[in-house]
Amino acid sequence: MSPIFLGLLATLAPAAAALLLLIAFPLRHRGAPAAWICILGSLTSLGAAGKLLVDRLGGAPDARWVEPWILERGVPMAEMGVLIDGVSLPMLIVVCLVALCVQVFSIAYMHDEPPRAFGRYFTLHALFLFSMNVVVVAPNLLQLFFGWELVGLTSYLLIGFYFAKPSAARAAVKAFWMTKLADMGFLFGLLVLFVSTGGFEWTSHPSTAVATAVTALLFVAVVGKSAQFPLHIWLPDAMEGPTPVSALLHAATMVAAGVYLVVRADPLFALAPATRDVMLWIGAGTAVFAAGLAMVQNDLKKVLAFSTCSQLGYMIAALGAGSAFAGFFHLGTHAFFKALLFLAAGSVIHAVHSNELSQMGGLRKKLPLTTTAFVIGALSLAGIPGFAGFFSKDLVLASLEGRAHWVPWTMLMGAAFLTAFYMGRVVVKAFWGQVSEKSAHAHEGGLAITGPLVVLAIPALLSGLLGGWLASQVSVPYSLHLGLTPIVASSMGLAGVAAAVFVFGTGRAAPFAATLEKLDRLSLVDRSWAFAYQVGLQAFPALFGWIDRYLVDGLMNFSGWSAIEAGASARKLQTGKIRDYALMVVAGVIALALIGVLR
Amino acid sequence: MTLSHCIILASLLLCIGVYGLLTRRQAVAMLLSVELMANSANILFASFGHFHGGASGQVFVLFALALTVAEVAVGLALIMLLYRRYGDTVLDLASEARQ
Repeated sequence: MSPIFLGLLATLAPAAAALLLLIAFPLRHRGAPAAWICILGSLTSLGAAGKLLVDRLGGAPDARWVEPWILERGVPMAEMGVLIDGVSLPMLIVVCLVALCVQVFSIAYMHDEPPRAFGRYFTLHALFLFSMNVVVVAPNLLQLFFGWELVGLTSYLLIGFYFAKPSAARAAVKAFWMTKLADMGFLFGLLVLFVSTGGFEWTSHPSTAVATAVTALLFVAVVGKSAQFPLHIWLPDAMEGPTPVSALLHAATMVAAGVYLVVRADPLFALAPATRDVMLWIGAGTAVFAAGLAMVQNDLKKVLAFSTCSQLGYMIAALGAGSAFAGFFHLGTHAFFKALLFLAAGSVIHAVHSNELSQMGGLRKKLPLTTTAFVIGALSLAGIPGFAGFFSKDLVLASLEGRAHWVPWTMLMGAAFLTAFYMGRVVVKAFWGQVSEKSAHAHEGGLAITGPLVVLAIPALLSGLLGGWLASQVSVPYSLHLGLTPIVASSMGLAGVAAAVFVFGTGRAAPFAATLEKLDRLSLVDRSWAFAYQVGLQAFPALFGWIDRYLVDGLMNFSGWSAIEAGASARKLQTGKIRDYALMVVAGVIALALIGVLR
Repeated sequence: MTLSHCIILASLLLCIGVYGLLTRRQAVAMLLSVELMANSANILFASFGHFHGGASGQVFVLFALALTVAEVAVGLALIMLLYRRYGDTVLDLASEARQ
């Protein structure tokens, strides 16, 4: 089977599942069949991706297939197709594997939903996997943009899955607004690229000025999608969606699409050092800022959400430092351990029926497998040596060290400590300590809950070892070395965990907690956006309303008014008196006679 | 009596008719004025015919007179209706078509 066929199969199998579920609504309304159809589609995708991987390990080269699209005098303006190479294939496998695990997990997690909602949930999941795969296999930026918008739509629909709940509906709208606002950057970037190079290829070589403009505009979209400061505020709110959705979309894959875009468009970004500098600082800033806020969240999912912001900051910083590979590698490992953390959190929430950390405690005895999975994910996230997260985080930091960006390097090291600290806090608070009232009756879920945890725990432990292989796929040199960065990074991780155990294990108050909590409650960024949103929502409509009322309507009213006035003055001629008409006739005759005589 | 005299007479008659049509308010007087104008044309017919040296002009006037009588009949009928409707024969009353 050709790689193109497999790539198409991986992309279109979930689309077929989604389409079938959309049309054959009895299947959707019954609930359970929808889950199986969706999972069948995902299995097909994963199978195709796996076959591609096996072929590639056997030496298959990159494959690219494009169909012309939008013909203008026989010349295609754009192309759609499939690109299978060292970047898209690993990403495809990560996406399909995590999606499959999450979908299987969802069967148990969403079990109590009414059949119709259950069916809708899996239809959206199939649609999401299709959209994400469109992004992953995109051979050019235009197709990537379509997939990008599709994942935005499915994200909106899945965040608002419990749309009867006002907070969920608001969170969905907020996420949609923020990401759409940022996506305008993508659109304008594409326009600039097309106007200056005549295509949507990331391999084109525009001038530095054009490349800077394009990449800056693309980066605006990345900031929105990958939840970087100051557009990150939608991500914590997106936790209103079901937990498996948070695991798949808002931790492992969709939010990483921004990073993926930069990795893909790396040749363009390489031409724009100015954009890269901005990325470096925004990434590093977000990593620290979000890690700080993650320390004081009481909602288990919100800790993980801020942690996702923070980790995406690492990736963006690595990309800004010019090491696309480090960012991409961290994307892959992060997808596994963060999906694992979210699914473990889902397992906890499923057992405890609460998101609040204060209502958990002592779950270690009740949920041994979930605890193990969560701890593996947490240690991986904290960058403890040997776990997957250590290798990729080390590479990110090493890429900064290699280019002597010492201030961002220090910031990310600080964030590494905070990461270990807040994960330690969650683990200690939720799984150790006093058994709370709610966790007393907790018990482990069925195979659909524990199976995906086990499957994801393996790559969360081991995927760090694949760095060398991944580097060879994108022809980047890769070496593990014992230098300054790994030593400081691992000691930061260990120190963070130790500090958390010391502080929370003994029930002390965390340092700075009060200040951070105040900062979190103030939510300055949130408020400024709310203010901007309101000003925008009121000022722009007011402006357009004025234009509509006085310019557009005015033109219409003027033409109507002038017709009426013209009629009124013409009507004065028509007096209805015979003698007036006779006078006109006579005057006309005299005038004609005069013309005749004088000529 | 030359042709000029006849034309001048016809012209005077036409002018009187026009003046009457434009100044009179009564429908009957206006009808009379119209008849004057018609007759000025008839005089021209007859005199051109006479000086041309043939009877055809005078014959044509007979036909025109017959038609004028018919026209007057219609006109008088209209004036009757006007009177019935408005109680007067001032033609300016009948100006509803303007609205």
